[in-house]
Amino acid sequence: MVTQIIADVSLAVAVVIVAISSIGVLVMPDVYGKVHFVTPAALVAPVLIALAIAIREGYDQSSVQTWLALLFLVIAGPLLAHATLRAARIREKGDWRPGHSGDGPPDEAEGTEAEEAPR
Amino acid sequence: MSAFVAAAIALLVVMIPAGVVLWRGKLMEAVVAYEMISSVVVMVLALLAEGFQRPGVFELAILLAVLLLGSGLVFVRALERWL
Repeated sequence: MVTQIIADVSLAVAVVIVAISSIGVLVMPDVYGKVHFVTPAALVAPVLIALAIAIREGYDQSSVQTWLALLFLVIAGPLLAHATLRAARIREKGDWRPGHSGDGPPDEAEGTEAEEAPR
Repeated sequence: MSAFVAAAIALLVVMIPAGVVLWRGKLMEAVVAYEMISSVVVMVLALLAEGFQRPGVFELAILLAVLLLGSGLVFVRALERWL
């Protein structure tokens, strides 16, 4: 009975987390803000759901397969977030590095070129 | 209807705001929404497999989780270079 309650509460919390993340993806103004709300839905909620299935089924094929899917989600989440933000910055600035985009401190190569420029 | 099936249906319902971004948003914003929806669909498949007691469906969840990484990286890389 207690385990059933824990499993149901885990499922409910997972749904609430995904709902908040989904609303966050909708209301954030730019892609950089939206990516912040993907991580709870892609990492925390799967852990809670896998926990609920493990509580319900114990150690068997279903729970092991769920944890395996969770493992791939945990690996994929940060990698995809990084790649997505990198692509967004390249599409926006032309390069992901601060020195090449004009919005950060120039690197040494650009400074040297500026000093050696003809007057 | 078990709690797992109810949770799967609830997850699909609460993904509507992300679906709006996927439909109406700019290109990179739609990619973010797509990645989030893909991650949630993995959970939905696992919940439906547990709710209907179909262990074979868990393999779909694992397969989608694996493909999520590969397809996402390829898609984002293509957006970065060519699209």
